[in-house]
Amino acid sequence: DDTPKIDTSQWKCKFCAFEEPGVTGALDIGIGYVSDDSYKFGEYNGLNEKGGYFIGNAIVRIRAEDAKYWNIDINNAGLDSRSVNIEGGKQGSYELKLNYDELPHNITDSIATPFLGVGGSNLTLPSTWVRAGSTAGMTDLSNSLHPTDLQTKRKRVGVGATFIASERWKYAVSYRHETREGTRAVGSAFFFNGAQLVMPVDYVTQQIDVSASYTGNAFQARFAYYGSLFSDNNTALTWQNPYVSAAGADSGQLAQPPDNAFHQLTAELGYDFSERTRATADLSIGRMTQNQDFLPVTTNTSLTGYPFALPRSSLDGLVDTVNGKLKITSRVTPKLNLGLTYIYNDHDDKTPQATYTWVSTDTNVNSTTRTNLPYSFRQNKLKLEADYQLTGNTRLSAGFDNDKNDRTYQEVSDTTENTVWGKGKVRIPGTAEMTIKLAHAKRDIGNYEALPWLSPEENPLLRKYNMADRDRDLGSLRIQLLSFNNVSVGFGFEYANDVYSHSSVGLTASRDFSLNADMSAVVDAKTTLYIFLNHEEISSQQSGSSTATIADWSGENKDTIDTIGFGFKHTIIEKKLDVGGDFSITNSQGRVIVDAGSAAAPFPDINADFISAKLYAAYKLRDNLTLKGTYWYQKLDSTNWSYDGVAVDTVSNLLALGQTSPNYSVNVVMMSVRYQF
Amino acid sequence: EEAMPKAPAASKAQPQVKPGTTPDARTMSAYTQKGADTCIKCHDEDSVFPVFSIFKTRHAQTADKRSPFAYLQCETCHGPGAEHAKKVPPGQNQAPIITFGPRSKLTKDKLNPVSVDKQNKICLSCHQGDDRINWHGSIHANADLACVSCHRIHVAHDPVLSKTTQAEVCYRCHTKVRADFYKTSVHPVRAGLLTCSDCHTPHGSSAEHLLIKPTVNQTCYTCHAEKRGPFLWEHAPVAEDCSLCHRPHGSVYPALLTKSLPLLCQQCHSVAGHPAVARTGDALPGGSSPPSAFLLAGSCTNCHSQVHGSNHPSGVRGMR
Repeated sequence: DDTPKIDTSQWKCKFCAFEEPGVTGALDIGIGYVSDDSYKFGEYNGLNEKGGYFIGNAIVRIRAEDAKYWNIDINNAGLDSRSVNIEGGKQGSYELKLNYDELPHNITDSIATPFLGVGGSNLTLPSTWVRAGSTAGMTDLSNSLHPTDLQTKRKRVGVGATFIASERWKYAVSYRHETREGTRAVGSAFFFNGAQLVMPVDYVTQQIDVSASYTGNAFQARFAYYGSLFSDNNTALTWQNPYVSAAGADSGQLAQPPDNAFHQLTAELGYDFSERTRATADLSIGRMTQNQDFLPVTTNTSLTGYPFALPRSSLDGLVDTVNGKLKITSRVTPKLNLGLTYIYNDHDDKTPQATYTWVSTDTNVNSTTRTNLPYSFRQNKLKLEADYQLTGNTRLSAGFDNDKNDRTYQEVSDTTENTVWGKGKVRIPGTAEMTIKLAHAKRDIGNYEALPWLSPEENPLLRKYNMADRDRDLGSLRIQLLSFNNVSVGFGFEYANDVYSHSSVGLTASRDFSLNADMSAVVDAKTTLYIFLNHEEISSQQSGSSTATIADWSGENKDTIDTIGFGFKHTIIEKKLDVGGDFSITNSQGRVIVDAGSAAAPFPDINADFISAKLYAAYKLRDNLTLKGTYWYQKLDSTNWSYDGVAVDTVSNLLALGQTSPNYSVNVVMMSVRYQF
Repeated sequence: EEAMPKAPAASKAQPQVKPGTTPDARTMSAYTQKGADTCIKCHDEDSVFPVFSIFKTRHAQTADKRSPFAYLQCETCHGPGAEHAKKVPPGQNQAPIITFGPRSKLTKDKLNPVSVDKQNKICLSCHQGDDRINWHGSIHANADLACVSCHRIHVAHDPVLSKTTQAEVCYRCHTKVRADFYKTSVHPVRAGLLTCSDCHTPHGSSAEHLLIKPTVNQTCYTCHAEKRGPFLWEHAPVAEDCSLCHRPHGSVYPALLTKSLPLLCQQCHSVAGHPAVARTGDALPGGSSPPSAFLLAGSCTNCHSQVHGSNHPSGVRGMR
């Protein structure tokens, strides 16, 4: 052993402030008040309802002899976004974890429906309901309409343990059980008559991770199992047809997501061949399965041929996945690094095919049967890169990627994309650092063949953009001015430009560019500031053909988003009174222009103006007692022509939910006391 | 080449640094006489580099034989400090010691050129395992990031390891992503319920974009397992890549979609009949044509709602 023998007998560490055994921590107790109801403001934070709420946060640290410890962390105890994390054990030997989280998703409370049984899997219409051929004839609508909302809530419980078995081996196991309950919107149809419904969400997802990892001098490895089991407590949503129906189509049935499972084994290896050369290899082999019993072809007993035979009672769905990566990096000379990476991703759908008789919208038996298509995908990607230290402050990198993708049952069986890229990094010592990156990629496809089983057939001129010839240019520039006078300033520019030169119908071009700047400053020992600005434009062009031949209309999307944020922290009285603030403004605009070849009304912009301002102060009453106050104002004005003005009966053949774009202005006041112990 | 200190934990407890970096006799002789007590004399809480919070961290757990403080204390990571601790006449610099972070990387002081590579080797001498296996040659390594570019060692709670503060650390470089999370349709990162490392693994990954799972879809399924299938009737681009229709960092359109419907769907669907027709503002409420179900509310999804796949025998077109 060549380890240096250092005489540490005099290293008493008597000034070291090691933590003593005992309990320390902090407790926040207080109240908050929310001025207005808003699902969008409270979308995730749980502050969706007007009124008071309890503020409760706690951190508890328990330290004991022999590296034993526990940390308990409680957040947002009074809100729907509460969490509890407990971890502890004996450092260096084992660690145990237990956590509980709630994640609300408040989607909207602006909707209404005439259906009864919302939240369940069987939606019925009231006995007074008047069926009609269009929404205008549904004369009982206003009588039976009742407001409702869309929201889901996830509740997660996780447990985990890590064992450090030896200096080189570590074992870990964890399990997470998540329930997700609530409602979501779903569309439904009988022929061309649609109705937006409220679908129940009642999911359980369990995830398991087991791993063993080895850390050696030159060789490291990790072996892992990942399992994910999904189950849905509902199999179908049944709803009554609100329209006058063809014979027998009095109700319909929509499938809920089927139960499914995924199991995956992974090995990751890393090896240093020498001080200069390292190789890593990852291999994951997985299997996705799904075998839930099929629903009946239709619930309409009056159709000729009912009941319809199914070729099998369940899918026996099976997808094998292989994901691999091999990477070798080498410092060939002190200035030159070379890297080679090979990536293999395979999604091999082995689901058995069968021919199914199908009924359109529980109304009409199709004359042609359909065979299910187990789509498979395979990627082979090779990446080469070189990195050269030109001078002490200049580094140049360049690379080449070859990316081949194979697909089954689709218009294109294989695509090849070649990318060349270069990067330069220049540093002016003590002043600035600039990084510029440019890339050009060209994707070539083989034959594009329309799928024979579609009826009516797809426009032969359409090119689906994920498998169309494409020229892509990417660029980015980042300049970071380095901390002079305690001010740090950065500028960035990014763009991506895609051209689908051989696509006459479908997406033809898209572009995304952004400019940003940020600054942070330590003004003095008492004050810090930050500011950031971002301007982004996302645009795309596409063409369509109303006759399913040559293009005769075009569409353009252009989103413009501007964001500015700034904030500060300031100490008014040292060790007594601190204040701070965070402010942000985001204006976004989504513009849709459709040129149908003749005069037509334009679309109004999809706008969102967002303002958030938060001011906070902390006043130390005693060494262990701090009074904290926060005022938070947030405002959103938004419009979206998809929803605005679309009441439940605005469209003759759509019984809508009447959702509106979110608009809110909310004030929140929080007062709490932090007690440290 | 300047010699590196040994890994902590006494020699036998823990894997050592790479061969060839054994301290030579010169540096070995230069460890302090009293270890941390020597350092703390100057580096107290009022110094330019206050260090005391390290005693609230795992690195200062002497009962864990892997911990730096169970070995050479401060000098486990900072290297031999005897020269550095020597008094110098006013106006002169202390002798250098191994330091970390941008001051070390970019200093004009020639006495102190600790390259990022050297800094990281010190950390990796203990932390090369687990998800750091893929660090070498990863995008963050190639961008010359030091471990301490993101991690803070001398604080009780490293902000990058906390769900509520991590994103702020990442935004320092990923400024555009910060702006993305101010859009109207986002994952709950601003609310502190989800953070960057729920989807990305910053130390290198077998996947593109440093994702936690080998593919985009496998990553998304960790929270959206109901979309995994396989379904009887698959929607091919859904099984291939969620990001063909969704922008994971935020969108101005609902459900993180890349654009509004029906144009989103019409990029790939142009069969004769209603999918091929241009939908204009004429079909908005109050327009010259009747308000259209092909355009408004859920647009295509008013009827074709099972866009992620359907397991219903009659769900061929996503309508059951």
